[in-house]
Amino acid sequence: MRRPLIYLGVPVLVAVVLLLTGGVLGGHSRPAAAPVAAPTDRLADSIARAQDRLRTLPKDWRTWAALASAYVEEARVTANPTYYQKAQGAAQQSLTLHPDGNVDALVALGALANARHDFAGARDQARAALAVDGYSADAYGVLADAQTQLGDSAAATDAVQRMLDLRPGLAAYARASYDLELHGRTDDATALMRRALDAATDPHDIAFCRNQLGELAWQRGDVAGARREYTAGLAADATSVALRRGLAQVDAADGHLDAALAGYADVTGRAPTPGYLIEYADLLRLVGRPADAMTQLSLADAAVQLFTANGGVDGLATASLDLATGRAADAVTAARAEWARRQHVDVTDTLAWALHAAGKDAEALGYARRVAGTGARNASYAYHLGAIEAALGQRDAARADLTRALTTNPYFSPLEAPVARQLLTKVGS
Amino acid sequence: MARRSTGPSRTGRWLFVVGAALLGVLVLPAHPASAHPLGNFTINQYDGLTVHPDRVEVTAVVDAAELPTRQERPLVGGDPVGYAAKACRELADSFEVRASDDRLKWTVVSSSFAYAPGTGGLETSRLECALRAPARLDTPATVTVTNHYRTDRVGWREMTATADGVRLVDSPLSATSVSNELRAYPADLLSSALDQTRASFRVDPGVGASAGPAAVVTPRGSDPLSRITATAERRFQLLAGGHLTPLLAVLAVLLAILLGAGHAALPGHGKTVLAAYLAGRRGRPRDALAVGAMVTVTHTGAVLVVGLLLSVSTALAGDRLLAYLGLASGLLIVVVGGWMLVKSRRHSHHHHHHDHSHSHSHGKLSLAGIGLAGGLVPSPSALVVLLGAIGLGRAGFGVLLVLAYGLGMAGTLTAAGLLLLAVQRRMARAGWVARLATRLTPRGTRRRATGTTATAALVVLVGLGLTVRALAGAV
Repeated sequence: MRRPLIYLGVPVLVAVVLLLTGGVLGGHSRPAAAPVAAPTDRLADSIARAQDRLRTLPKDWRTWAALASAYVEEARVTANPTYYQKAQGAAQQSLTLHPDGNVDALVALGALANARHDFAGARDQARAALAVDGYSADAYGVLADAQTQLGDSAAATDAVQRMLDLRPGLAAYARASYDLELHGRTDDATALMRRALDAATDPHDIAFCRNQLGELAWQRGDVAGARREYTAGLAADATSVALRRGLAQVDAADGHLDAALAGYADVTGRAPTPGYLIEYADLLRLVGRPADAMTQLSLADAAVQLFTANGGVDGLATASLDLATGRAADAVTAARAEWARRQHVDVTDTLAWALHAAGKDAEALGYARRVAGTGARNASYAYHLGAIEAALGQRDAARADLTRALTTNPYFSPLEAPVARQLLTKVGS
Repeated sequence: MARRSTGPSRTGRWLFVVGAALLGVLVLPAHPASAHPLGNFTINQYDGLTVHPDRVEVTAVVDAAELPTRQERPLVGGDPVGYAAKACRELADSFEVRASDDRLKWTVVSSSFAYAPGTGGLETSRLECALRAPARLDTPATVTVTNHYRTDRVGWREMTATADGVRLVDSPLSATSVSNELRAYPADLLSSALDQTRASFRVDPGVGASAGPAAVVTPRGSDPLSRITATAERRFQLLAGGHLTPLLAVLAVLLAILLGAGHAALPGHGKTVLAAYLAGRRGRPRDALAVGAMVTVTHTGAVLVVGLLLSVSTALAGDRLLAYLGLASGLLIVVVGGWMLVKSRRHSHHHHHHDHSHSHSHGKLSLAGIGLAGGLVPSPSALVVLLGAIGLGRAGFGVLLVLAYGLGMAGTLTAAGLLLLAVQRRMARAGWVARLATRLTPRGTRRRATGTTATAALVVLVGLGLTVRALAGAV
């Protein structure tokens, strides 16, 4: 009889089982003091994961490329350009390991080129990537950004559409929304950005969508709506510089000048880019502090100088700065050079405005009309066109365009909106 | 290292062990850019603490890049000495250190400020402050450090801590500065910028080696066995990625078998269930072999499927997937146990009419269930090897290694089963056990039924345990 023995084995087994399950259950308890990163920060999480993985598998070219793309994103989100160098290094590492047909690395380099304002370079990288893999949604994203900035509106729309077809989602919606905005379809752009917001879970993504929605509301002159979006965005990501700047802009429109000044001081402290510094200087001039405004403009000058010294070219920032400091001829030179490189609507508008400032209104009119021809609904563009027309004595056209500027967004610029009103009364009489 | 790069990843302990062990190996040459290495916007900070029995001293350095330096210039004016004193005072007021909840009151011992040439004809600047505060650290105390100084600015934020005359315990801070006090920033492509703004550690009286940041690097489960396995796993993963010669390939396969065997020897993997099953159902060596084969097939399949899913989708988190598979494995064991339980009850009521071959087919099903449960959860290291091999265009070799790994696992499980059967047989031969058992259980039929019921209950219990563990991991 062996059966009893089997039965007797049971108590022994009980002990074994208890020991093993005890070991299993106890062995996996997590250390209490583990510094676990916030689980919602998906970007930081994916960077940490890729870094971990590459320490183990340093030859994994796909992860090197993924890390490069994540670094570009991190630089955008944190406004820390250090990550551009890291992104470059990681993408090159990927290409060294796998030189042929490395779509991921080409896409990462393209995104990096876009971030560094080398839009032609980005376009070429995207095309090279698409030659290898014609179904890469990310490559179409890079191409769409590059073509948009280069001013090839048809090619940009096409790339956005391909991206939407291949992978509808946050990234495609956001790009499509901007494309619609540039074509003056502000309502459709808003609807699409709302869809993008619905798809967003990461705080940085939510902040991005809210900022775009705030911009769109602002362009319609909906100051309260813009404030709502910016505030909601800051609730998701309190560190966002772009949202803080939007709020400062809204504060200025509402007449809360002290709050606006404090906002801009914060923004330019954290991200002293020429654009923000020029806006801050405008506001300082408005409140009668020209000396402080000059300080900010000299800082903007230093920022442009640094950008140029590091091998970057940003004719748009240079021209804007020249305009803000009253150097019209320099502004024309810089804007012309930038326009030769790319015909984005902002560049065309800046060139027109620089020509107007230099007294070349006949030439300016051509560019300003070209801007209007894109259909973009932007108060500033309309004001520039109206002012140029007024200077040329075309009173009816000027009246129409100035009125359009002030009905689109009566607050479009703290300095220029009052000038537009004066000009309108002048041409209207 | 940075907050973002060292949080013990939830990817599983093996990945963590491997990641931590290789930390800092891959240092690439610095980028040849002439600009401030950390970007023109940055305000970078270093705070080095030295803890004494009666005081704390801090060396604070603020390295401002070109634009912040320019922004500060109006405040400096023509008086760098006065500016340095003022800035150091401000820094001291924002640098919060508490020793057992008492906030230290800093005295600025010295301060200095200097410009250095930067890019584009601009300058960078360097502020240095020496701070000192009395503190009673001759008895055990907890020190917490929180830096509030300009934390809204983009920049590198580094802290170090050393002790003189006391001992630091569980300090998360390094004893030396990786940036040489903001003079040379590491250009490692695999590390994010440091962002240390808070830390806490214990200070014990007495002199000795301070337990430094080793605590951060030491992986969980740092017993010798785990450490040896970790080393072996790292070799294994490097083998799959490195330059491959036939000899190396054979070595890698052998190593994979060994690792699989070692992996299966760790708790889990249904060994308990297998043992209980074999013991309770009077298993044969054939059953042990069957379970082993089943584990190999299931594990290889699971690794391949999960590996494929993970390499196709980036949105899918590997750790989550593993947790769900763990859950499925636990539930499967519960089902097998439940099945055995139902059958044993039925057996006890109708055992006269029971058809032997029928019972045998039930047994096969249960065995398959146990094998399935044992192999369902892919081992993270096997996954890493497969993904790595796919990434390197060596998918075939990766599959081979995973197969070898599964064979190793099967070997251990089969061996464990056979060992158990051998022990059982020995016990059967020992007469006293039989006598004892007979005395304890008067009637044979009930005895047998109760035995199977108890075994089945045990299997359910183990299954529940595994399910709870998987749930704890998944949530």
